[in-house]
Amino acid sequence: MPFYDQILKKMKLTLLLLLLTVLSGIAADTYSQSTKLTLKLENVRIEDLLSQIEDKSEFRFFYNEEIDLDKKVSVNSSDETLVNILDKILNNTGIRYEVIGRQVILTNSSGIASVSQQSKTVTGKVTDSSGEPLPGVTVVVKGTTNGTITGADGNYSLGNITADATLLFSFVGMKSQEIPVAGKTGINVTMVEETIGLEEVVAIGYGTAKKSDITGAVATLQGDAVAERRTTQVSQALQGAISGVMVTRDNNTPGSSATINIRGITTIGDSSPLIIMDGVPINNINDINPNDIQDISVLKDAASASIYGSRAAAGVILVTTKRAKAGELNLSYNAEYGVETPTQLPVYVDVIRYMQIANELRWNDNGNTSDEYPLYAKDIVDNYMSLNAENPDLYPNTDWVGLILEKYAPKQSHTLSISAGTKAIRSKLTLAYDKTDALYMNHTYERITSRFNNDITINKFLSATLDMYFKRSIREQPSLDPMYNMLIAAPVYAAEWSDGRVAEGKTGNNIYGQIKYGGFRNNWYNQVGGKLSLDFTPFDGFKLSAILSPNLGFDKAKNFQKKVSYTDWEDPTSILGTLEWAKTTNLYESRNDNYQVTTQFLANYTKTIKEHNLNILAGYENYYSYYENLSASREQYDLEAFPYLDLGPLTYRGNSGNAYENAYRSWLGRVMYNYQSKYFIQGNIRFDASSRFHTDYRWGSFPSLSAGWVISEESFMKDISWLSFLKLRGSWGTLGNERIGNYPYQATIAFSDAIFHQGSTVVASQTAAQWQYAIRDISWEKTESFDVGFDAGLFDNKLRLTGDYYRKTTKDMLLALEIPDYMGFSNPDQNTGKMETKGWEFEANYNNRIGQVNYSVGFNISDFKSTMGDLGGTEFLGDQIKIKGSEFNEWYGYISDGLFQTEEEVTTSPKTSESVRPGDVKYKDISGPDGVPDGSITPEYDRVLLGGSLPRYMYGANIRLEYKGFDFSMVIQGVGKQNVRLEGLMVQPLMENWGHVPKILDGNFWSMYNTQEENLMVKYPRISQTSRGNNFAMSDYWLINGAYLRLKNISLGYTLPKSIVQSIKMNNVRFYATISDLYTFDNFPKGWDPEVSSSGYPITSSFIFGVAVKF
Amino acid sequence: MISCTDLDLNPLSEGSSENWYSNETEISMAVNDLYRPVFWPLEDGEWTDDYTRRQALTPITSATINGEWETLQNLWLNSYKTIARANTILLNLDKVSEILPPATIDKFAGNAHFVRAAQYAKLIFYYGDVVFYTNIIDIDEAFTLSRTSKAEVLAAIYADYDAAASKLPIAYGNAENKLATKGAALAMKARIALAMGDWAIARDAAKACMDLGIYELYPDYGELFLAKTKNPKELVFGLPRSKEFGVLWEMVNYYLPRNVGGFGGSIAPSWDLFHSFLCTDGLPIDKSPLYNPQKPFKNRDPRCTATIVEFGTPWLGFIYEPHPDSLKVLNVNTGQRVKNNDTRGNQQYASFNGLVWKKFADESWLPDFKAENDKMFMRYADVLLMYAEAKIELNEIDQSVLDAINKVRARAYKVSYTATSSYPAVGTGSQSQLRTTVRVERRMEFAHEGLRYQDIIRWKIAEKVLNQDIYGMLDVAALRTKIVKPGLWFFPMTPAIDENGSPNLLPMYEAGLIKLLADRQFDASKQYLWPIPTKEILINKNLIQNPGY
Repeated sequence: MPFYDQILKKMKLTLLLLLLTVLSGIAADTYSQSTKLTLKLENVRIEDLLSQIEDKSEFRFFYNEEIDLDKKVSVNSSDETLVNILDKILNNTGIRYEVIGRQVILTNSSGIASVSQQSKTVTGKVTDSSGEPLPGVTVVVKGTTNGTITGADGNYSLGNITADATLLFSFVGMKSQEIPVAGKTGINVTMVEETIGLEEVVAIGYGTAKKSDITGAVATLQGDAVAERRTTQVSQALQGAISGVMVTRDNNTPGSSATINIRGITTIGDSSPLIIMDGVPINNINDINPNDIQDISVLKDAASASIYGSRAAAGVILVTTKRAKAGELNLSYNAEYGVETPTQLPVYVDVIRYMQIANELRWNDNGNTSDEYPLYAKDIVDNYMSLNAENPDLYPNTDWVGLILEKYAPKQSHTLSISAGTKAIRSKLTLAYDKTDALYMNHTYERITSRFNNDITINKFLSATLDMYFKRSIREQPSLDPMYNMLIAAPVYAAEWSDGRVAEGKTGNNIYGQIKYGGFRNNWYNQVGGKLSLDFTPFDGFKLSAILSPNLGFDKAKNFQKKVSYTDWEDPTSILGTLEWAKTTNLYESRNDNYQVTTQFLANYTKTIKEHNLNILAGYENYYSYYENLSASREQYDLEAFPYLDLGPLTYRGNSGNAYENAYRSWLGRVMYNYQSKYFIQGNIRFDASSRFHTDYRWGSFPSLSAGWVISEESFMKDISWLSFLKLRGSWGTLGNERIGNYPYQATIAFSDAIFHQGSTVVASQTAAQWQYAIRDISWEKTESFDVGFDAGLFDNKLRLTGDYYRKTTKDMLLALEIPDYMGFSNPDQNTGKMETKGWEFEANYNNRIGQVNYSVGFNISDFKSTMGDLGGTEFLGDQIKIKGSEFNEWYGYISDGLFQTEEEVTTSPKTSESVRPGDVKYKDISGPDGVPDGSITPEYDRVLLGGSLPRYMYGANIRLEYKGFDFSMVIQGVGKQNVRLEGLMVQPLMENWGHVPKILDGNFWSMYNTQEENLMVKYPRISQTSRGNNFAMSDYWLINGAYLRLKNISLGYTLPKSIVQSIKMNNVRFYATISDLYTFDNFPKGWDPEVSSSGYPITSSFIFGVAVKF
Repeated sequence: MISCTDLDLNPLSEGSSENWYSNETEISMAVNDLYRPVFWPLEDGEWTDDYTRRQALTPITSATINGEWETLQNLWLNSYKTIARANTILLNLDKVSEILPPATIDKFAGNAHFVRAAQYAKLIFYYGDVVFYTNIIDIDEAFTLSRTSKAEVLAAIYADYDAAASKLPIAYGNAENKLATKGAALAMKARIALAMGDWAIARDAAKACMDLGIYELYPDYGELFLAKTKNPKELVFGLPRSKEFGVLWEMVNYYLPRNVGGFGGSIAPSWDLFHSFLCTDGLPIDKSPLYNPQKPFKNRDPRCTATIVEFGTPWLGFIYEPHPDSLKVLNVNTGQRVKNNDTRGNQQYASFNGLVWKKFADESWLPDFKAENDKMFMRYADVLLMYAEAKIELNEIDQSVLDAINKVRARAYKVSYTATSSYPAVGTGSQSQLRTTVRVERRMEFAHEGLRYQDIIRWKIAEKVLNQDIYGMLDVAALRTKIVKPGLWFFPMTPAIDENGSPNLLPMYEAGLIKLLADRQFDASKQYLWPIPTKEILINKNLIQNPGY
């Protein structure tokens, strides 16, 4: 081919491209289909072949010098179309062609894409890693709106696809995949589940964002990780799951929840985070069924949370619920059964030792006189077991704990879920039922939750979501929580006489009889709510939304306290009295009626211009809430079988009621911008007005700024092959809080009653008085927060690291100002006080595959310390203190100096009172009224700060393994350091002067019966009622390191192979077993779980077996 | 409503203080508030030597009291709440001076003065020098305050009581709420004056109250205290209780025997108290030939068996008998002999010293152990005895002193005080003899009424009586061998009685015939005053704690 010809062709090519871009679609291709060619050539260069075709036909080839036409080919065709010939010879050459009329354009497959090419239809099947068809996967041609979704069999078919197009396969929870069509007409894809990757889309305030685009501190948790814990309440499942999220609990009553704090404590008032479900604030995260959760985002710093300005100071938790996908049609059912058993139970001394120690207490308190058997006579103590054998009623030996607590409490749960999705309407309905019994009788927790989420696409411009949910939970309990009384009850008191009648216990304190016969305390909580949202998209990138979300609550409580009479052990007709908690049978009922309505209007605009990406959000939100309470009672029921108000006597009736409301109004705005997905900047502002403040002090503004830099995208970092991703983040912002009563600026007149004589009759008259001192200019509490952090992905993002350091300063803290009691008012609410919280967090996750084993390992740790600043003269005193310079709730008490050993030491030492004796705890004399030690120990002058009470270095870790059908996971969780006080039932003997004696004390307390040497070695003070105040006062004597490591959760699952499942007409069958709270490593006295409060329901281990089937 | 809520929300179920105190109803409700039950606690008898609670002690009787004791903190807080509210009323009355008749304004003002005086009186009695103000203070001012001397506060208390006495009515109509009266102001003034040693003021105030001529002693001492006796003429100042309105004396089962479902005298009259009742010849038991320790209820002042249940007598449907061998006892209502749970022979937690309270109790306390007896803060007998005490201390011993004491004593015997042969009338004697007489009389007359603690503090005898230990019966086996068998039941010996009417039980204990229940202690170096609540000291550097705390 002559040289000039080539030049011409190259020039023409450029021109032609322009031309064809305009004319594409107009040109007919009849010539190419009607013209048949016969060619027989062996081993010629492609370029030569093309020349021959040009010679034999009117076809003209256009290409540039990048096209490699030197490859040698052979062709043997007779009467074939050009397309067929080119398909053969250009196969595997990387050269694409497009026939437009008589012109044929050749391009490299990676070359110029803007040339319109012949379109095809691509079909294929999408499956998951186990080979199961995956319905609802979105398949789109990249850069276009041309797309479809896979059907129930996982198949898809997408027409009008050019050979150079790239298909984008995406599915929530799976890694998105881009696959070039490259001329293929069949593309099968296996989707891989996404753990927590940088490409993941996470919920942020009023929207979503790619994780890699986020500049604030946002942590995410997949819904599966929540559900996998198999807890009834969501709050419990978060323990140890996310760094910087402190989850604490002190009991494990059926249905019990846990307290959540994000990044420590920011205020003396309410430090609980704001919970947003599907974009709308809700009261309690535990109102959501864990199985309904798609994912959870925790907004930890001001930059991410300040879009929620007003109430976000303590952090925000965003919960997104599961929704149906288009093309989905299935029904799944999950059943699980299990048991709970206490992790630990305290152990007490036996009955003989009990009597000896009880005698010792009286003997000590009476001055150690000659009578060493002041309570239980010697012959009784010496012969008790034989006396007990003769007459167990007169000489009981009751195992109260064994009598009341069962070894195991059963629990079960069932979840039914139906999903159906078409392109227009996608619906998901779930219905769940949970029931947990307690370890003691007459106590159960039941819950029914239902959720119905619908997405409706009306047309290209308009779509809607309509969600509804319902929750009903019922807690039935005996009229009294037995734990405290059960633990202190001593064995010398009878619970039941030998013929089964209720026994006297300790003069009417018989908790066993009370919970068995003493009536009930039942609570019903009903909640109905929903969300209607309309999205209008007038043009691409711009969306207007209107959202209305009501939530209605109806709660009912009924407490029927029955009088339980006990009779004499040898005379069933002789009623000795009634158990001490109810002298008569009484009914108390209450009702609460409440509702909250949230309204939002949002406008969102997204625009990408070249490498500039912009997202703008503006919105308005209104919130109103109303509560009304009603209670009524009657007392002295004659009938004990009818717990209804009408059946009680008219004389003893009571009732009361009250109501309150509050409201917010807010404007919000956000701008997110990034350049090349490399430099990110984001600004938020929110203006909030609250009805809780006077109109002049009502508005607060809460701005924030954050920035991110993806260093790994910079050219100088490209060469570091092990570093896949590195982003540095920084943020600053302010947040608000106003949760302090509903009318704090108003000096309200509170009403009450007093009774007076009128002659010899008695009347009641209403009274009125201002109870609280009011501060009129009370306004927003503000928390300023500063955060720096990084996200890194190493080794192909297999190892992902996240770290943050933050500092939060709360100013104008809203607190009930501690005023002198002599002012005669309750403490007023005021903006005063400062506190500062500093902390850090670190998270690491690694996933990989060895052969057929997929595994992942994760670890998180965080720490914070909250220090009180100037509290405006306010001090919160007690055993835990808040004063300037102290930590939040720092322990405050005496410094101990061992136990007094001798009379002389007692006489010559400062002490708390004249009643102190050898064997009591000795304290250091710190100061006195004149600022120097004054020779006596007093609460005013001798108490000091003893260290923080909050947990430090909270950590969690998890391991996950998958092998063929098996999956295994293990979670550990713990606290690195915590000052914990041993108190109450843990260490005090004979609580209330008659209670039981913890076994840990026996042989380890100071005693007159010990030798001097033995007394030097003991751990616990002497047994005394008089010195109880001295010995168990708050002091460092009782502080231990409460660090613990808990084996939180172990799960093992097995998914049946497809072949078996399909043969029984099912889609998926999985069996699983989960063990929670199995074992703990800690420092606590034997019998005490590190998390349980001393008279709380035990922390329990649970063993659950479940099966999930899907049709 | 849905998209734009009004943010000017006002309390739905409370009033606004902005324009309160604007009419009679509102002020009347504010005045009523000053008499809420929580502001008028009765003193706890357990702080004294009149009580025993098995083997337990209080922070006062174990000398472990400090500024963190809840009772002491509440008393402080509630007193000042009442004072602040009384101040607010007094300072707001000018708002209505135009629209209300002067008599109504006087009634409001008089009550506010009365209540403020009564609360400050309580404060200086317990705490000594206290924070004092009569205005409405703001926070800044509050932190500048320090303790005002007791004398200065006392002068203001007198002034308030005088203002109250001049403004308050002598009595209220039968369709009117009975608030404070002139007589109440005078009598309460006498009480604080007596406590502070202002004998003349006490005498004059008591006399002025007596001279009103409207109070009289209720004829039946035992019946006076029962729930059915509402607002008797003897009641100078008191507030009702009511089951109907839920204002109750709770937990009275602690006082009742086990046979009726009580706790067997878990809180019981002490042996100290029992021994202090005189014999019918007017002599203490160690002097009177009428006293027999084996029949300790015989020949005693009638108030003894009106206060403590006599053994072997019917009580709330059962014969009360703690004797260790009385294993069966008569149910008076059914005529059946039933198991006796009031003897330690059957029941370990029957009364530890054999005694149970009788005063105030009757069948109306059953079956729910809720009582609605009037709360009596000041009754006429007290006025008479205060008058006598003030005059004795002034050494103005005359017939009016003897008459005052004798009126009280004669009522117990249900005779006229002039019928001196029908009861052991008090004759004249030395100041110290009469001092003993009036102290013993008060102890007999006012047992279980919440007045003993003030008395032993005023008389400075707490260090003596509260340093005596608490005793009870021996355990059953020893009781049978050492007491019952030798025929020594109930008391094995007659103790010596001192000038305060207190017995010395130590010899009986040392003889091994009674049991030590608790080691009572009182630290005289500090305990005549309570500590200021710890919190108050710690948040306001201007306040200095009482010595020793």
